[in-house]
Amino acid sequence: MPRRKDIHRILMIGSGPIVIGQACEFDYSGSQACKALKEEGYFTILVNSNPATIMTDPGLADVTYIEPLSIEMAEKIIKKERPDAILPTLGGQTGLNLAYFLMKEGILKKYGVESIGASVDAISRAEDRLLFKKAMQEIGIDVPKSGIARSTEEGMRIGLEIGFPLILRPAYCLGGAGGAIVYNRQELEKFLEKGLSVSPVHQVLVEQSVLGWKEIEFEVIRDNADNVIIITSMENVDPMGIHTGDSMVVAPAQTLTAQEYNEFVDLSRKIIRKVGVTGGGANIQFGQNPDNGKIVIIEVNPRLSRSSALASKATGFPIARVATKLAVGLTLPEVINQITGKTSSFFEPTVDYCVFKICRFAFEKFPQAERVLNTSMKAVGEAMSIGRNFKEALQKGIRSIEISRFGFGCDSKDAFTDQMLKNLSPLLLQQIKDKIRIPNDERIFYLRYAIKAGLSIDEIYSLSQIDRWFLDNMKQLVELEERIKAARASSGDTEPDISAEVLREAKENGFSDRQLAYLLNSKEDVVRQIRKKQNIKAAYKLVDTCAGEIDAEKPYFYSTYETKDESRASNKKKVVILGGGPNRIGQGIEFDYCCCHASYALKEENIESVMVNCNPETVSTDYDTSTRLYFEPLTLEDVLNIIELEKPIGVIVQFGGQTPLNLAVALRKAGVHILGTSAENIDIAEDRERFKRMLQKLNLLQPDNGTAFTFEEAKGVARRIGYPVLVRPSYVLGGRAMEIVYDEATLEKFIAEAAKVSGDHPILIDKFLEDAIEVDVDLIGDGERFVIGGIMEHIEEAGIHSGDSAMSLPTFTLSGDILTKIREAAYRMAKELNVAGLMNVQFAVKDDKAYVLEVNPRASRTVPFVSKAIGVPLAKLATKVMLGKTLDELKFTKEIIPAYFAVKESVFPFNRFPGVDVILGPEMKSTGEVMGIDADFGLAYIKSQIAAGQNLPRKGNVFLSVRDKDKRSVIFIAKKLHELGFHLYATEGTSDALSKNGIPVKILVKIAEGRPNVLDLMKDGKIQLVINTPSGRIPRQDEVKIRSQVILHNIPYVTTISAAQATVNGIEILLKKDLKVKSLQEYHRNAARKTKK
Amino acid sequence: MNAILMLQDGKIFSGKTTGPIKEAIGEVVLNTAVVGYQEMVTDPANRGKILVLTYPLIGNYGINPKFNESPQWQLSGLVVKETSRTVSNWQARTSLDAFAKKQDALILRKVDTRSLAVHLRHKGEMLGIIAGLSSEPKTLLAKIDAHRKNQTQDLIRLTSTATPSYLGPKRARQKIVILDLGVSASLLAQLQSLGTGIFILPYTATANEITKTRAGGLIISNGPENDVNLEKIAQAVEPLLGTMPILGISTGLHALALAMGAKISKMKLGHRGVNYPVAHPGSFQAEITTQNHSFVVDNDSLDKITHLKIVGYHLNDRTIEEVAHNKLKCMGIQYYPQSPGKGQVHPVLKRFMHQCAIK
Ligand SMILES: Nc1ncnc2c1ncn2[C@@H]1O[C@H](COP(=O)(O)OP(=O)(O)O)[C@@H](O)[C@H]1O
Ligand SMILES: Nc1ncnc2c1ncn2[C@@H]1O[C@H](COP(=O)(O)OP(=O)(O)O)[C@@H](O)[C@H]1O
Ligand SMILES: [Mg+2]
Ligand SMILES: [Mg+2]
Repeated sequence: MPRRKDIHRILMIGSGPIVIGQACEFDYSGSQACKALKEEGYFTILVNSNPATIMTDPGLADVTYIEPLSIEMAEKIIKKERPDAILPTLGGQTGLNLAYFLMKEGILKKYGVESIGASVDAISRAEDRLLFKKAMQEIGIDVPKSGIARSTEEGMRIGLEIGFPLILRPAYCLGGAGGAIVYNRQELEKFLEKGLSVSPVHQVLVEQSVLGWKEIEFEVIRDNADNVIIITSMENVDPMGIHTGDSMVVAPAQTLTAQEYNEFVDLSRKIIRKVGVTGGGANIQFGQNPDNGKIVIIEVNPRLSRSSALASKATGFPIARVATKLAVGLTLPEVINQITGKTSSFFEPTVDYCVFKICRFAFEKFPQAERVLNTSMKAVGEAMSIGRNFKEALQKGIRSIEISRFGFGCDSKDAFTDQMLKNLSPLLLQQIKDKIRIPNDERIFYLRYAIKAGLSIDEIYSLSQIDRWFLDNMKQLVELEERIKAARASSGDTEPDISAEVLREAKENGFSDRQLAYLLNSKEDVVRQIRKKQNIKAAYKLVDTCAGEIDAEKPYFYSTYETKDESRASNKKKVVILGGGPNRIGQGIEFDYCCCHASYALKEENIESVMVNCNPETVSTDYDTSTRLYFEPLTLEDVLNIIELEKPIGVIVQFGGQTPLNLAVALRKAGVHILGTSAENIDIAEDRERFKRMLQKLNLLQPDNGTAFTFEEAKGVARRIGYPVLVRPSYVLGGRAMEIVYDEATLEKFIAEAAKVSGDHPILIDKFLEDAIEVDVDLIGDGERFVIGGIMEHIEEAGIHSGDSAMSLPTFTLSGDILTKIREAAYRMAKELNVAGLMNVQFAVKDDKAYVLEVNPRASRTVPFVSKAIGVPLAKLATKVMLGKTLDELKFTKEIIPAYFAVKESVFPFNRFPGVDVILGPEMKSTGEVMGIDADFGLAYIKSQIAAGQNLPRKGNVFLSVRDKDKRSVIFIAKKLHELGFHLYATEGTSDALSKNGIPVKILVKIAEGRPNVLDLMKDGKIQLVINTPSGRIPRQDEVKIRSQVILHNIPYVTTISAAQATVNGIEILLKKDLKVKSLQEYHRNAARKTKK
Repeated sequence: MNAILMLQDGKIFSGKTTGPIKEAIGEVVLNTAVVGYQEMVTDPANRGKILVLTYPLIGNYGINPKFNESPQWQLSGLVVKETSRTVSNWQARTSLDAFAKKQDALILRKVDTRSLAVHLRHKGEMLGIIAGLSSEPKTLLAKIDAHRKNQTQDLIRLTSTATPSYLGPKRARQKIVILDLGVSASLLAQLQSLGTGIFILPYTATANEITKTRAGGLIISNGPENDVNLEKIAQAVEPLLGTMPILGISTGLHALALAMGAKISKMKLGHRGVNYPVAHPGSFQAEITTQNHSFVVDNDSLDKITHLKIVGYHLNDRTIEEVAHNKLKCMGIQYYPQSPGKGQVHPVLKRFMHQCAIK
């Protein structure tokens, strides 16, 4: 059926900021959808609060709104743009929920907007746990015994009836938020409360547990002619009980018989029909009893999902693109498969390789969090690897997640030596067993220890319920490891004599040169040489959707060790772009955005782009982003293999964050040409000592500092520069293991911690500047001329990581004089470092002096934000500069200072880590960001807060509790709140300060001292805003309790005075005017631009 | 043991065998399905072939007799990347390797099956021989050549039943004849689940013998393609056209088409897998089918045959997948009528049985 002609304008909802459970995958699906709709000639309207996305690039959609994803704002956009239809299936749970509530509130009806892709009924049938259960029973599909709880009492009744253990699953939630496994009454009660408050519809499914069953997923697509195809099956290596988003996953499923497979296919068809997805995709999750094959349905996501992104990258089938075309009326047979270029999309993809997905966690950033995995997702990122067998994929996967491991152990990073494992102490045995029994992010390595320690596969299975097939494959690797060791060289400098056969077998099973070097007591480059001599080289195979049956036109590539290389390296001019790998805190979508722009720029310069990345969520790993895509880990070995094959004119390391940057020096050593700022100058900026010398040369200010290897040295430095000091390792991102230290005792503790992270690099100690204003500067240079892209003033003071604090472009308090100093300094450093491409500087401004905190000689986290704010694609320009264009030629010669304000706010994963305190510091903790944009700072700030999920109150009660040094500044804030009609509650000290200044305030007793205390008020929804600044490094018990309540009940809160001021001003404005919506295109068009040289 | 697969065009692929090597010759064909190895190696239609599985990890879920399409390993050789040394599924009774050993069958492992697949895609399917590493290429080529010359495909003789038999309730409401060219267990199972009584007749059965059963319909089963016996079978079927509903399945369709005067032609690369799209003229509805064939009913040769309609075609290469002749109550499908799911019967079979019911 041809595309629908009765609709013309289509509204798409993005998924908002990156949070745990919702990452880049929805930028990938959203931008694919934008393109697909354009192809079909529709007028597209996009709303997303996340500026770091490709989809919000002006030009992808016809009209782009970077506005909060709230019902209120969405209605305003609908009112203004009058779309005929809304496409809710590409914006993750956020997009789906927003669409659902727009329907419930009658807004869709009011403006005559139709929901395409998934009808509102379909959405409810899948998301509403009760309707879903009914629907499944109607088609005779088993669901675990369960009941729906709308209240704690109801939940208790249901739960006790079914019996423990129980699984709690809140409705309309994301990434298993608020979900839990409970083993007793107390837990049940506790988590019911939580679940009910988390669920937007206050509904929790209380379900019989099928822990330990196989977790099997199917990706299904259906068009409105009722054609259904299966994209792929996926099998979770970690069984039921560990969120799919946290599990290691293989595609296709490995342990299903043909008959079982068919049964799943049959059920999947029935389910997608019953749910009623017409013209779209669905992800279906099953549980299967490994002992008798009994199947239960766990859930259906009637939308693009994390899993569908994975399925898409695993098979090559562009699910988002096709789903979008189906949503507007086309049928599968009509849509062609762009990978093969000659077949129809009505053809189930099949693979001739094994795909492995493994997750990246961030527990190291939340030390107080319990390091276990369960039904509530905790992973912040993931990597996908491809091999010709599971073993190869597994090892590639592990080295893809960049936890400085280079495969399945034996890479010199193992926690236990073979000796310890051979003659095992009872204690160690117990530890290993526990680490396997209780799922956690290190389990994979403990499986290896267990195998080495001689535990039987059956024993390990009974502890982990990880299928024996996977365990045996791991065992095969351990056995091979032993055989490799046999050829171990006697001493480090004699060449190991390993037979070509064993070496080849090792590579076929995914062993990295690093692992081999360790096992053979040799060096990585030596091993590499031996391999080449033996002519054992990586061969590249295709992801082509059809297992080689059809000669594909636009496949992508993965490395393996086979006889024939199918790569298609041309002899055209080309550039290799190194991606950022898996998302992690400190390195996320912003960097993928930049890599994509590098590809786009190369296309415009008609130079071939060769992308290397292993993150299946991203746009950069989409089949049509670059000329050629290599789905590979970003380690030196894997990258060199590609470079030797492709022979590019150069490599771009500036855009993928710290990952490629850390390869720069090694690559240059290997004779690779680095485009843009030279590896030499990169090193000057990254190496503290060299950097210090540079600043002295340019006589620029830097916080007093020194470096140290030992505590003794550190003590010396600290004494010299005086406390408080800031301690941190070198060569890290996101302020890893960074601490503000107020005295010697604490110093000792953190030296130890930092030393671990820092390895053989020194530890850095800086004078900590208190109450300084932090400023971020992004700059572009062509080696001759340098232009500032944006100067951002942070709202929180220095000491709170730049990635975590809110910031405003343009600045809102800095004097012209300071700004001049900042510009001067930035330009001087850029010139000195001969920057060709992008550079980011962070300053701390104190007493009218601008101190340089650091220089990042690469694209920074803020590049997309700045680009959206000023309407100039900096990353694209930077790429062209690296290719030799001048800024004059590119017509970007003057800093743009917009006449409106753009505020970036960060979003935190605290709700995922119960027990973690929410206070901010120099170590980055945020997963994502939003942008608020409006005529003045206040409005922009408010929008950023709403977008970040802080629904600020217009009236009600505010609780204040601040540390002594803030007592004076809080008065002004309290006064304002009082004038605005809020009632104030405070702890003793704070309330004294307030009442002394004649501000009416109620004192609340200390939590310990009785009730009702502030916790009770919060529980009862009597507190609408919490202002609480931490009293110091070791916070008081009350504070911690209060702040965790805040998270539990999702009450707006601020933990710094500066943020409190901005918030109160925002609320004032909120009360005066009502928020308006305006598209990026309008801003960029109309903004009368004041420019500066 | 190190061994090789040499193709007719002289191309060599190396691998390993588990047991001792005995040479094996056959048509080298691909199958792109991820699961179903047991069904494939026991499918009589694959008799004498060297089957290459493009999915690299084979044997993971082991073997269970109940999944056999016939009691016997039918292949001349199986070529794979990796066979699993453990089996992991609650239904597994034994491993693929053990099964092969018991049937004294040949598996060539550790082959770059991807490259082999791509090679066949370019050059088309051809004969091949599995032999010891040391064997002299010239002599191997000679053997392939000899095989091609003096061996006219005569496999149905081996895959068909020797003697007539009857399956199902004596007093079945509906009885049909299956002309056995190498019928698969799963087909019989589906028909039986409908309570059908089934006369299974050898491929040599005459029109007379078929009529004598007084069955309500005739199914010409699947079996080895391009077989010398197909002509004879067609001749036997020809007089039955119009006397009773007839369904030809895969190679059975070829026999039926020949009987109607059509021609059969070879494709460069066969359709072997579970993901083939079959579209129906004038409809947006299509279906995904399981297929296992290298020969098709020749499109042009149908023009002469009046009232024969093409009701299904391959969405990508437009080859014939389903034909119907309402006047003669004949239908034929090129794909396998696999059960859509536990205890279910493929719609085509239902339709056919329905047709048989109409007196
Ligand atoms: N009845 C159950 N028994 C055991 N584990 C379960 C059960 N239901 C769900 N799970 C586990 O919880 C995880 C998350 O489930 P779900 O509530 O669907 O979260 P989400 O909606 O984010 O996918 C699943 O991936 C599965 O591993
Ligand atoms: N000397 C200092 N005084 C005050 N705050 C500092 C100082 N040095 C760093 N910071 C704070 O620590 C944060 C992280 O430091 P930075 O050097 O930027 O590490 P990263 O490389 O992780 O960005 C900065 O954003 C700033 O808020
Ligand atoms: Mg789920
Ligand atoms: Mg920084």
